[in-house]
Amino acid sequence: MRAAIKEYNYDWLMGSTLSAAAKFPAGTEKEIAWAYRYIPYFKGIVKNFVDLGPPGIYFMDLLAEYYQNILDAHAQGKKIAATTFCSTPVIFYAMDIVPLTFEVLTAIGAMVWRRGMFDYMDYCCEVGMPETACSAQRGALGAYLAEMGEDIDLVVCDTPGVCDTNANAFVFAAEYLDKPFYQLNYPSTIGDSRSQAYHVKDFQAMIGFLEEQTGKKLDYDRLAESLKELEAQDAITADLEDMLMLVPTPIPPIYTLMIYAGRFCFAGHPGYTRLLELLRDQAKKRMADGIPGLKAGMEKLRVLMCYIDHYTVDMNFYNYLEERGIANTGSILTRNFRDYNPYCQALEGSCYGVDIATPEAMLETVAQMNARLPMVRSIRGPYDQHGMWLDECLALARLYHVDCIIYNGTPGCRNTWGMVKPFARDVEKQGIPVHIMNDDAFDDRVESWEATRERLDEFFTVRGLL
Amino acid sequence: MQLFHDVANHIECQPLNDWRAKNRPVVGYTCSQVPAEIFYAAGILPMRLRGIETDGMDIGDAYYGPFICSFPKCLLQLAGKGAFKFVDGVVITPGCDAMRRLDECWRKAGEDYQGIIPDFFYYFDVPHKAEGHGMEWFVEEIEYLIAEIEDHFSVEITDAKLREAIAEYNKGRRLLDEIEAIRSAEGGTVSGTDMFAATIAGTVMPRALYNAQLEQWLKSLKEQPPAENARKRIMLIGSITDDVDLFRLIEFGTDAVVVSENLCFGVRSEGRPVDEAGNPIGALAEHYLGESACPRMYGRHKQRLAVLQEKIEQSKIDGVIMQNIRFCDLHGAENALFEKALEAQGIPCLRLEREYGPMIDKGRLKLRINAFLERLGRRRQYARSN
Repeated sequence: MRAAIKEYNYDWLMGSTLSAAAKFPAGTEKEIAWAYRYIPYFKGIVKNFVDLGPPGIYFMDLLAEYYQNILDAHAQGKKIAATTFCSTPVIFYAMDIVPLTFEVLTAIGAMVWRRGMFDYMDYCCEVGMPETACSAQRGALGAYLAEMGEDIDLVVCDTPGVCDTNANAFVFAAEYLDKPFYQLNYPSTIGDSRSQAYHVKDFQAMIGFLEEQTGKKLDYDRLAESLKELEAQDAITADLEDMLMLVPTPIPPIYTLMIYAGRFCFAGHPGYTRLLELLRDQAKKRMADGIPGLKAGMEKLRVLMCYIDHYTVDMNFYNYLEERGIANTGSILTRNFRDYNPYCQALEGSCYGVDIATPEAMLETVAQMNARLPMVRSIRGPYDQHGMWLDECLALARLYHVDCIIYNGTPGCRNTWGMVKPFARDVEKQGIPVHIMNDDAFDDRVESWEATRERLDEFFTVRGLL
Repeated sequence: MQLFHDVANHIECQPLNDWRAKNRPVVGYTCSQVPAEIFYAAGILPMRLRGIETDGMDIGDAYYGPFICSFPKCLLQLAGKGAFKFVDGVVITPGCDAMRRLDECWRKAGEDYQGIIPDFFYYFDVPHKAEGHGMEWFVEEIEYLIAEIEDHFSVEITDAKLREAIAEYNKGRRLLDEIEAIRSAEGGTVSGTDMFAATIAGTVMPRALYNAQLEQWLKSLKEQPPAENARKRIMLIGSITDDVDLFRLIEFGTDAVVVSENLCFGVRSEGRPVDEAGNPIGALAEHYLGESACPRMYGRHKQRLAVLQEKIEQSKIDGVIMQNIRFCDLHGAENALFEKALEAQGIPCLRLEREYGPMIDKGRLKLRINAFLERLGRRRQYARSN
């Protein structure tokens, strides 16, 4: 890694960037226009959020707070836990632990910085991780392996049984940095009593590990508060999901990213409730005014991202959807699988409910919720077993009236690349066109955005969709 | 020994054909965490599926994506070509993401290639942890597997039969252990190539026949005088391989001998004998999950490192060759951690990335191995001169 990059604490650098960006809209219109001239490399992403108005600005605030929490953790006597986007932060906040999610931080860096996360990704390889390991972790992880970020105190991973490359990156981090490690391990089935019981036992063991590491007992009153907040968040998310089903939808393509990024960082936290309220209110107003979410004012096509979105610089992917008039009905990351969502009716046993009556009920709630976060719900076990990836995508395609399904991931995703071709064939049999993107969602060097865009255009043209 | 090499180098081999000639069933399995004793107890020949003798990748590439290890692709290729049509059943496990997707890819290929899916096609869910509920899950998985075998093949697998099977398998384990002791001792007369062929053969041959062959081999080894002591002593570790040629590449025409290995098809998978006294299912679970040395068992890196370090010391290893198949991140990352720890202790290491298959990058590998052996040679010279 270049010495110049090592000069800056990564968390401070990103936190400061986001914090400055969040202050941007405080100026007058003229001041903002002038200020953009001073940030040519950041303008693309900042403008996207500023133009969204209150939800966009608040979203930048929240992300800045996420970094600030990491930066302040040790001074406040809190431990920092490196964890995955597949793991709910609810339990960490209830135990006064600051979660640090590699994938979220990689996505932020990849979108914000013109040079992407390349230096950090490559650093992981310099110290021995294979270049074929998933870029979602390799990005931010590189900074921590290079000791350029805050010191991680423990590693909690919940992808064994779901994603080897993800789990492997966390194991590598724990061993390389010599930190305590816990794994939540997922069986190949979901919804049956045996796997439900396994989720709870595994989660109980994790709490034991966290209690041992922090020297504090889980505060169930605090957990109850977080779960009440989560109740409110799930209800608002359900409203947003309802609006996402409308044709045209009043939800802009970028909203789905904000919904899931907020959940990964702040589920159960009042700040996330506020973000969802802002998103819902703005969407409701658009709906009442009969205005589609797309800036062009016309919805030409509706896509379902069956895996993840594309996160490289300036949010090019979301801008592309806007330019082409394509509504984004979400990805594997968007859905929360709360039991009252319409799609849950079609996926029996795959969803969770919230019960805060007793400590045991709360524990069951969080364990089952955690087991339904992205990847750990959808891509465990055979993709064509009842309620799994194929069923889920077909159910969503019907409910959200999509015209096509697009797969996007990273070359590191051995799990989905091991099944996406048969999956695509099964989906196509149902009359839904599928496009498999060959890029890396976090690394433009694998395929340039320009090439990715051309391939998307080619797909839409050849299949007669646009 | 010739029989071991014949079995190790061909999917269809004489012992397998002899077994089938008597209309006895054969079940293929994909991972060292499947307890072979269960099949033995049912009168079924368990056969570890191998990707050797692949002559193309068109079928493997058609169903799997591009960023997948070539080992499961070779298995799928062979399945699609009908190379495993003789098996009466297949058990697939989530050894890694690519291997567990063999379940779907094989089933989907079966829609296009007639007759490649045996009637008994079973997914065996192995957890990634052996503690508490992980072990309970695995015990249940073994019980379910037994029930399915009993139902499908109309057999009864009693505790007594399981104990008998465990005893027979343990006999082989003890013999291998004795041979391994000769191999790893100074003046050992066992080549890595022969030892690896023998352990691969153990995943295919009927156990009684295998044990008899091991006994003969051990007897002949005991009668041999010690070998010259000057060869460089190599340990080979990393991704799955069932290709004896990888050992040959290190040993043929060089002054090196692979005196130890830590490989999925190697002697490590035999491990210590299974407990013969207690509950047989619990004992099998403890052996196949509790003692697993695979990096898929997350959080056990330090234990695995300790095992390596012990072996390195016991076998007086001069250098460790660490290989991983491209896209095998589990071994790729673990090799890096091993290299960091072992080099810090002054143990020379070579990391190699390769493709699985009929040694397609033999020249490149040979060049790097030879360079590594030169390094070891200079090290010896330096040690002697100081």
